[in-house]
Amino acid sequence: MSELAVTPRTAAGPGPWRPAGRPRPGSPRGRRRSGRSRLVAGAAGLAVLVAAAVLVPWLGGLDEGAVDYTAIRLPPSAGHPFGTDSVGRDVLLRSFAGLAVSLQVAAACAVLSTVVGTLFGALSGLLGGWYDRVLMRLVDAVNAVPHLLLGIVIVALYRGSVLAVIASIGLTHWTTVARVVRAEVLSLRERPFVDAAVSGGASRLRVLRRHLLPAVAPQAVLSAVLILPHAVWHETALSFLGLGLPPHLASLGTILGEGRQAVLLGSWWIVVFPSVLLAATTLCVAGIAAWWRDRSLPRRRSEQAL
Amino acid sequence: MSGAGTVLSVRGLDVAFRVGRGPRARTVRAVTAADLDLRPGRLTALVGESGCGKSVLTEALTGLLPGTASVRGTAVLDTPDGPLELLGAPERDLRERVRGRLLGLVPQSAATHLTPTRTLGAQLRETVARLGTARTVAELLDRAALPAHLAGAYPHELSGGQAQRAGLAAALAGDPPVLLADEPTAGLDRPLVEHVTTLLAGLAAEGHAVLLITHDLRAARDAADDLAVMYASRLVETGPADAVFATPWHPYTAGLLGALPDAGFTPVPGHPPELSALPGGCAFAPRCPVAAECSGDPAPVRYGDRAVSCHVPEEVRA
Repeated sequence: MSELAVTPRTAAGPGPWRPAGRPRPGSPRGRRRSGRSRLVAGAAGLAVLVAAAVLVPWLGGLDEGAVDYTAIRLPPSAGHPFGTDSVGRDVLLRSFAGLAVSLQVAAACAVLSTVVGTLFGALSGLLGGWYDRVLMRLVDAVNAVPHLLLGIVIVALYRGSVLAVIASIGLTHWTTVARVVRAEVLSLRERPFVDAAVSGGASRLRVLRRHLLPAVAPQAVLSAVLILPHAVWHETALSFLGLGLPPHLASLGTILGEGRQAVLLGSWWIVVFPSVLLAATTLCVAGIAAWWRDRSLPRRRSEQAL
Repeated sequence: MSGAGTVLSVRGLDVAFRVGRGPRARTVRAVTAADLDLRPGRLTALVGESGCGKSVLTEALTGLLPGTASVRGTAVLDTPDGPLELLGAPERDLRERVRGRLLGLVPQSAATHLTPTRTLGAQLRETVARLGTARTVAELLDRAALPAHLAGAYPHELSGGQAQRAGLAAALAGDPPVLLADEPTAGLDRPLVEHVTTLLAGLAAEGHAVLLITHDLRAARDAADDLAVMYASRLVETGPADAVFATPWHPYTAGLLGALPDAGFTPVPGHPPELSALPGGCAFAPRCPVAAECSGDPAPVRYGDRAVSCHVPEEVRA
């Protein structure tokens, strides 16, 4: 008995040869490649999450901090769809209230670290030579200090303020963006079109702004998306040490931090539901960012022929 | 070739690159003792095999050589404020006064010289604004024989020929009296080659001084007023195109003409020498069919409006 792993392409076989990875015309894969579904799904998902984060605490008219010692660690039920935590607070209310806080903190961190990182990386790559060496060693120096330690110093200086938490996360996570942007700039600046712009008299700043950054921006934005969930986790770590957001503010980070202990007692819902919210948010933002990257590079845009 | 009526006059141009380090260091002599004159209203074709130093010549003139290059000689450009020596000119002068305004460069592989994230129109507009001329994008596209709708096209949407003409359009933005075209016809088919060379010849007829660097002897013969033949970093023969094509004096020129399709596709035997190991004396001697009759001195000798190196032409000997 001989069985072929690959179906032979006979006249009655699966049809004509086609380059691997190329979808058949009209197949659903072709449509997915266009990236529009990414945008639609991402935007719709994010809209729902943001609306929920704003509306749930408001519509419920309930205090997400309300403690109920008669309802400790209840599994999900009609009364508490996400269950309750170790002090009887409703996980659903706390999750969405936390989502609102976390989204603000994470978005601010992502923007801060992207701006700082892009600036650093672009200058480093563009100026080159000694500037590059000094700037990149500075990046190494920031990386050499444990992020948490650096964050703790910043937060310890300004206890209990949201701004301090944002600064402590944003100012320690720009190094990845800086490296990505620098690498991209280093490769782009050797291309003839940069020589052409320079020899035509464009200043370095102009070359950076009009010729390099538009090509680098998609990469920078993608690394910003990666910072988003990381910032939430980092805030958890700060909260774990009692240095994060003020205790009365629920955030996904604080919920997860507290829930971690309850998991050992079998209360999975305290961790699972906030985690799902976090993952969903990240995926939605990533979808929008990927769509935007495809749109912002003309070559990819015309390949997709939206 | 005299200094009178020239807009750009190159004398004794040497360009050498240091390559490698330590015991493996070599010197690549890309251009040796080049004399060249560009005159308004004339198209000068510079021909020669790949790697003989043609492109380096234009890079030296526009000040775009890498830092490892050392340059000697003079290249005097006529400017409205009097003659300007290009090779010693500070970068600031080259940038603010020369490039684009006095010397237009049509680069080799123009497509890579366009920023991929911006439209052709936006880049031409930026060039015009930077150079401060009154040209419009539509006008430039029209002069480069490109349809007006391509102003909205991104570089990757242009074909090879369109990209070359886009490079020409950008070079014309500053109304430069001198145009340096570095193989603008590379990779194009016959009709497009003719199209581009006709465009350049037309620009020469309008009063530009055009240097056309090319491998394409047929294009050179069709369009050129003057011809310069380069071999192993030296300009071995220069002169009016008609005269050089009719009676090539240097055996290398004769060999190149013999390689044309209508002359029977006979290539010059052998290979050109490495520019890092040029022999003393005439570099063509090992491939030369008449080496015994030559002086062996590679310095070009001027006979009237033509100049030839190493070889003493029969007309002169007689």
